Amino acid sequence: MRPENYQAISHPPSNEYELNFGPNHPGIEGNYALKVKLHGDVVVAARADGGYLHRGFEKLMEGRLWIQNIALVPRICVPDPVPMEVCYSMAVETLNDMEVPERAQWLRVLQLELSRIAAHLFTFGGHAATTGMYTTMYWGVADRDLILDLFEEWTGGRVYHIYNIPGGVRRDIPEGFLDRVSHTMDYIESRLPDYDNLFFTNQVFVDRAKDTGPMNQQQALEWGVTGPNLRATGLAFDVRRDDPYLVYDQIDFEIPTEAPGDAWARTLVRRQELMQSIHIVRQIVEKLPSVGGPVRTPIPNPLAWNVPAGETYTRVESSKGELGYYVVSDGSDKPYRVHIRGPSSMHAVRVLEQLSLGARLEDVAQIMFSLDACPPEVDR
Amino acid sequence: MSKTVTPWLDNLLQEIEGIEIRRKDSRRVRIDIAADSLPTLLELLRGRAGYVHLSAITCVDWIDESQFELVYQLWSYESQSLVSAHIRIAREPGVYVSVFDLYQPAAFFERDIHEMFGVYFEGSPDMSKFILTEWNGPPPMRKEFDSEAWVNETFEWKDYQPDWLKEITEQGGGIVKTPEETRQKNP
Repeated sequence: MRPENYQAISHPPSNEYELNFGPNHPGIEGNYALKVKLHGDVVVAARADGGYLHRGFEKLMEGRLWIQNIALVPRICVPDPVPMEVCYSMAVETLNDMEVPERAQWLRVLQLELSRIAAHLFTFGGHAATTGMYTTMYWGVADRDLILDLFEEWTGGRVYHIYNIPGGVRRDIPEGFLDRVSHTMDYIESRLPDYDNLFFTNQVFVDRAKDTGPMNQQQALEWGVTGPNLRATGLAFDVRRDDPYLVYDQIDFEIPTEAPGDAWARTLVRRQELMQSIHIVRQIVEKLPSVGGPVRTPIPNPLAWNVPAGETYTRVESSKGELGYYVVSDGSDKPYRVHIRGPSSMHAVRVLEQLSLGARLEDVAQIMFSLDACPPEVDR
Repeated sequence: MSKTVTPWLDNLLQEIEGIEIRRKDSRRVRIDIAADSLPTLLELLRGRAGYVHLSAITCVDWIDESQFELVYQLWSYESQSLVSAHIRIAREPGVYVSVFDLYQPAAFFERDIHEMFGVYFEGSPDMSKFILTEWNGPPPMRKEFDSEAWVNETFEWKDYQPDWLKEITEQGGGIVKTPEETRQKNP
């Protein structure tokens, strides 16, 4: 080719490139992926990609007895399994028009709050790790372990307790257990100033988290955000108070809110919620000895238990937000349909995609952890 | 605000053809409505009654009646009550309109229902696969899809008889029962 005939092939000038963030990545919670398009180190497009943790729970539950499903549900969200058990049990109880003994209700609330504390400690650890503070992560996991110890003594399982069953709970607490709960609560509370020094008031964290992934209240409502993420935009909504279940209407607790709606506010709301949960647990420890009676209502032979036909939607406040179970029975011994509405199905998909836009690559992991997204809830 | 749908809204909703309102308790209202009227209903509930939070959309496959039931759970932060709106659509062709213009969370639920039940939502922003990216079979949450039959067709049962298991089996233990045998014992 003669040099004068040579024409270079021209590409439109672009500095954009694509990057797969996950499914195996230390900055992603669980097996989940975010496909980001970057210009320099700024995200210009993001697309969530799930399915790596799909185990088909909803289909599996249609093929199992009502009571068998109790062993399945806690596996849907590993860091915070108790709300799954309670929500499913509440749905079956509603379909059966069944009363739960008062003592069982208090025990359930105790479990829910301990699980919330454990989940929040875990989230702090994860969030701190995304800003390079690994010590907080080790502390968070170690302190969470103390609660898992309590669960192990109480139910036999550290993570999957399979403790809440339709009609109540499987067994009462062991002797002297409440003392050990109090002791653990005192210990965790005494640790919080250390966490504050190391993490919450750490200038590295404050600088990194402030104005990262901000959303205002209007956006949060439009995107269906719930739980601590919604409260971090200034709206004091909590299913425990505003749509009460179990004995939450007899418990005194506050709903912490923050206005800015960024990663810093979301974590601060969780930090205050942790204190509120400790406060609730202490109330239960005080109250429980005065509540006698059985811990469960007898149910018919669970292997031949036909639940009356009907449908119900029950909700609880998990550590991540609003958790809902839509359960349909056709009068047989198995559920006709179970639909699980995990709060992360909003937070980990649309909200994460939206908040990542314009963020820098190193903040994407932090945004995901500050939303406390739980991918197995999305995939189910 | 009161804890239930306000009376004037009740009157307004009564104007919609084929509507049936049932109160389950002070915070739960069930509305059955014709599929054509649902967008109008949601517009009223969102715009006039403060039901701004779409908690969930659920699809139920009523295969005997050849229908899909779609259930929209709406929560009002003001009146603190939950309305569940139920509609039925024909199982074939299984097409309905998206409510994404009213409720953005619908995008996730509609995509999920399309993937799991094969219901197509017209106007939904994204109907591409999300969870079952490498699945080419029928929508698996439909009642006619039998997971176990599919497994039996696709995979083979293999004999698993290592020596250590043989010893246990001879003593009467082990994991030697197929699902069929288990089922015959517990009909």
